[in-house]
Amino acid sequence: MSKPALLSLHQALRKGFQTLESNQKLWRSVLAECTPLMVSLGNLAEQLRALSRVQLSNTPLSAFPDLQQCLHFKLVQATDTVLGKLSEKMSSLQAARDAISNQVSGVFQVYEQNMDSLDLLTLTERSATAPSAADMMEWLQDAERHYRHQYLRRKTLLQTFRADDLSLLESAPKRWESLASPSAEDRITDTLFKVSLFMETQ
Amino acid sequence: MSLRLLSVDAADQGSQRCRVGPAVMSALGLRLGSPLRVSAAGGTCLCTAWPRADLAEGFLQIDLKCSSPSLLSHPPAHLSLDPDQLTPVPCLKLRGVKVTVVVQSVDFRKNTPRHLVHELVKDMLKGVYVCQRHVVNVEDFDTEIRYIVVEDTNPDSAEAGLITSKTGVEITGIQTLRHFRAQLQDQHRVPLGGLEEVSASLREMLQLPLLYSGTLSSLGVSCPRGVLLVGPPGVGKTLLVRRVVGEVGASLVVVRGPEVVGSRPGESEEMLRGVFERARAAAEEGPCVLFLDELDSLCPRRTGSSAPENRLVAQLLTLMDGMNQSDRFLIVGATNQPDSLDPALRRPGRFDREVIIGAPTLEQRKAILSVLCERMPVSPSVDLAELAQRTTGYVGADLSALCREAAMHAIRHNSQGSEEQAVAMKHFNEALKTVRPSCLRSSLGRTELPPVSWEQIGGLDEVKLKLRQSIEWPMRYPEAFHRLGLRRPRGVLLYGPPGCAKTTLVRAAASSSHCAFLSVSGADLYSPFVGDSERALAQLFRQARACTPCILFLDELDSLIGSRSGSQTPHSVQTRLLSVLLNELDGVGLKTLERRGPERILQAEGEEQCHTQQQLDFHEVCNKDVMIVAASNRPDCLDSALLRPGRLDHIIYVPPPDQQTRLAILKVCTEKMPLDADVCLEELATQTELYSGADLENLCKEAALLTLQEESMEASAIKHKYFLQSLHKMSPSLTAQQISSYQTTHR
Repeated sequence: MSKPALLSLHQALRKGFQTLESNQKLWRSVLAECTPLMVSLGNLAEQLRALSRVQLSNTPLSAFPDLQQCLHFKLVQATDTVLGKLSEKMSSLQAARDAISNQVSGVFQVYEQNMDSLDLLTLTERSATAPSAADMMEWLQDAERHYRHQYLRRKTLLQTFRADDLSLLESAPKRWESLASPSAEDRITDTLFKVSLFMETQ
Repeated sequence: MSLRLLSVDAADQGSQRCRVGPAVMSALGLRLGSPLRVSAAGGTCLCTAWPRADLAEGFLQIDLKCSSPSLLSHPPAHLSLDPDQLTPVPCLKLRGVKVTVVVQSVDFRKNTPRHLVHELVKDMLKGVYVCQRHVVNVEDFDTEIRYIVVEDTNPDSAEAGLITSKTGVEITGIQTLRHFRAQLQDQHRVPLGGLEEVSASLREMLQLPLLYSGTLSSLGVSCPRGVLLVGPPGVGKTLLVRRVVGEVGASLVVVRGPEVVGSRPGESEEMLRGVFERARAAAEEGPCVLFLDELDSLCPRRTGSSAPENRLVAQLLTLMDGMNQSDRFLIVGATNQPDSLDPALRRPGRFDREVIIGAPTLEQRKAILSVLCERMPVSPSVDLAELAQRTTGYVGADLSALCREAAMHAIRHNSQGSEEQAVAMKHFNEALKTVRPSCLRSSLGRTELPPVSWEQIGGLDEVKLKLRQSIEWPMRYPEAFHRLGLRRPRGVLLYGPPGCAKTTLVRAAASSSHCAFLSVSGADLYSPFVGDSERALAQLFRQARACTPCILFLDELDSLIGSRSGSQTPHSVQTRLLSVLLNELDGVGLKTLERRGPERILQAEGEEQCHTQQQLDFHEVCNKDVMIVAASNRPDCLDSALLRPGRLDHIIYVPPPDQQTRLAILKVCTEKMPLDADVCLEELATQTELYSGADLENLCKEAALLTLQEESMEASAIKHKYFLQSLHKMSPSLTAQQISSYQTTHR
C-alpha cells in the first residue's frame, strides 16, 4: 500500500548513511591533522612561559637588544599561525557537520512529505536484511547530534584560548584529547555496520 | 492503562525524545518525532515522540531537554503516568526567540564576548522544540552554558515551536547558575506562620534600597545593612530568612559557623573574606542576603589577648565596616545568645537593627498550627484554637514536631484497619504527651504531674471556688474579666495547717487549666556558690515568662524565702532570694530580650471579628503574666512585703476539715475500698475532730491493713470495728491551739 513512499524513504536513508560514512572518514582525518597542531600549540605555550620566567639580562644573550620582546613577538606570531591553521581545520569540520545535518534533515523532509502514507507499523517493521525505518532515522539523528556536540565543544575550547592565560594554552592538547568521545564514535561505526546489508540491497 | 516512568537511556540524553510504545503513539495520532507535551506532577515537559527500540508497551522514558522550570529542581517523582497526561501539540517554525542564558561561572559571564555566546546558543538551540517560559537543558553539551530559559517566542503562541537555523535568537540576559537556582527555589518556599511583623520589617529592609535607591541617595542616608535576629532556638529564625529571601527574589549566601573556621592561622579570616566576596558577586546580579547563622559561635565576646576567635571577630568587623554603599547586600545574623556576642558588633553601622523573636504567643501558635495543618488531612473535629491554648511554651519547631507526631499516630491507627484517613483530635492528644515544649526543656522546675481533678479533693468548696476564680476563670472567661476591668491576680498564697491538701489543690488547679506548670523547692534553688540561687530563681522566672500563661508553684514558701524582719542574719540567702522574688513579681519592666509577639491593645469595637477570634484576643492580652502560687503553713514567718496586694493578692486560708468536709474526705478515700454494710462514715466524721485530711486518709489505710491482719488475706470487706480500732490507736495531728493561731493571724 505504501510501497513507493517507503521506497523513497529508504532511498533517502541510504543516501544519508552514505554521506555519514564519507563524512565520518573526513572528520577523522581532519581530527588527526589537528592533533599535531594542538601539540605545537601546547609547546608554544610552554616556550612563552619559559620566556616570561627567564631573566635575559643575566645571560650571555644580554648583548642582543630587545631580545625578550622579539622572542615574545615571534612566539605569539607562531601561536597565531597555529590558531589560524586550526580554525581552517574547524571550518572543514563544520563542513562535515553541515553535510551530515543537511542530509539528515533531508531524510526527515522526505518522511514528512510521505507522512500520511507511512503508518507506524510500516515504519517499525524490521527484517533480516534491513533495520526498521524508525531505527535508522533515530540513528541518523543520533549521529547528527553527536557531530554537532563535538563541533560545538571543540569550537568553545578554541574560543576560550587567550594569550594571557598560558596555563590554559599549555593544557590545550590534553583538553582537546578529552573532548573526543570514543564510545559515541564507535556507536556510529556500529550503526554503519548494522546498515551495511541494507545499503547493499539497492 | 497507566505508563510506568523509567529513567532515560544514556544514548537518548539530550535528544528531547519521549519513548513510548507504538500503540500509544498511534492512539494519540503521533508521528515519528512529532512534538508532545507531557504533564507530570509539578510541571510540563516538551518532547518528541519516538517508538521504543524494543516496541514494548506500558513504559515511558522522557528526556527533560525542554521542561518547565519547576521540573528542573523536582524531576517527576510519580512512577506512573496516565496516557491522558500526554498531549500532542501543534508546532510551527519560529521566526525568533528571546532567551536568558544561564552559565556556570561568573568568569565566563565576564570574559566571553556576547557574539560568541550568541553563536553558541544558536547552535545549541537548533532543532529543539521550545515553548514559552520553558527551560532548555544544555548540560549535555558540556560547556559553560548550562540552561537556556525561553522568555518569549515569535510568533507568540502558547504552544510549541521549532527552532531552525533561520530562527533569530536574541539574548536578553546572562545569569549565573547560582542565581538561577536561587530563583527556582522561590517557587517552592516553605510556609511560615505567625511571624508577619518580623518578616515585614525584614522585607522592607531588603526591598527599600532596591525600589527607592534614588530617594535614599537624594536624602543622603545610607540604608540599613545589618539585621540581628535574636530568639530562642526553634522559633524559626533561619526559616524566616530563607522565606523572606525567597519572597523578595534575592539570592542567599549562607555562612555556617564551623564552615569558615579553619585549622591554620589566617585560614578562617581568608574564608570569611571569600564569603563576602561571593556575596558581593551575587549582589551584582540582584538583591542578596549574607546570612550568618549561629553568630555567637562565630563571633564570641573577645577575651584575653590572642585567642584565634579575636582575629575572626576583628575580620568580620572590618569587613562589615568596609562595605561601601555600592555593595548592595544585607547581612543577617541569627543567634540565640545575644549576650555572648561581641558588643562591638551590636552597634548601628554593623548590625543596625535587632529583631527579637520570642516564643510564639497564643495567636502566633494558632497561625503556625493552621499553616502546618494546611497540607495535612485534618478532620473537622480538630479545634486549632484549643490546640493553640494547650501548647503553651511550644515554639514553631515543637509545633511542627507535634503535627508530625500526630500524623504518625494517625498512620499507625489507620494501619490497624480503621477507615478514617484524617488526623483527629485524639491523635493530637496522644502527640501532646510525647512532644514537650522546648522552652521549658532543662528548666529547673519542670514537673510531670499526674492529673488531679477537683472531685478527688473532698470538701473545701469555698477554697476551690476561690482558686478557680483566680486561676481558671481568667483563662476561661477573659472577655468578662476585661469587661469588668479585672486583672488576673499576680499571685495566690495558700496557707493553713499541714496535711490539709494545699499541694493537691494546686495540682488540681494546674491540671484543670492548661497552663504550663513549674514547681520549685529549696533543693532546686540552693547552691554553695554566692549568687547562684538568685540567678537560678531569676532564670526560672525568665523561662516561665517565655511560656505564659504559666503557673509557678513555690511550695513551703516560708522555708524558701523567709522574712527580712525576723531573721538573725540580715544578708542570708533567703533574704536575697526574697528580694529577687519581689523584683520579679513587681519589677519595673521586662528585659528587651523577653519581648514576645506584636504589642497589642484591645479595642472596644471588635464587633466584626468573630467571637472565637475575639476570645483569643482577650485571652492573649489577659494572660500574659506568670502567676505565682505559693503554699505555706507558717504565714506569720513570711515577709510582709510579699503579702501586699499586687504581689500575692489572694491569700486563701485552707482550713482544717470540719465535720461535713471530713465526711466528704472519708467518702473520697474509701471510694475504692469494699466497706462492710455496718460502716457508718458519719459517725467516724464526728469522732475525728482535729484530724487533717492526711490523717483521715491514713485512718482508712490503717483500717484496711488491720482487716488483712485480723482476718485473712482473703478478707473481702472492711468492718466498722477496724475503723474504730485504728482510730483508737491514732491521735490527731492538729491541735486546737494551732488552729486558733491560724485563725487569728489573718482573719
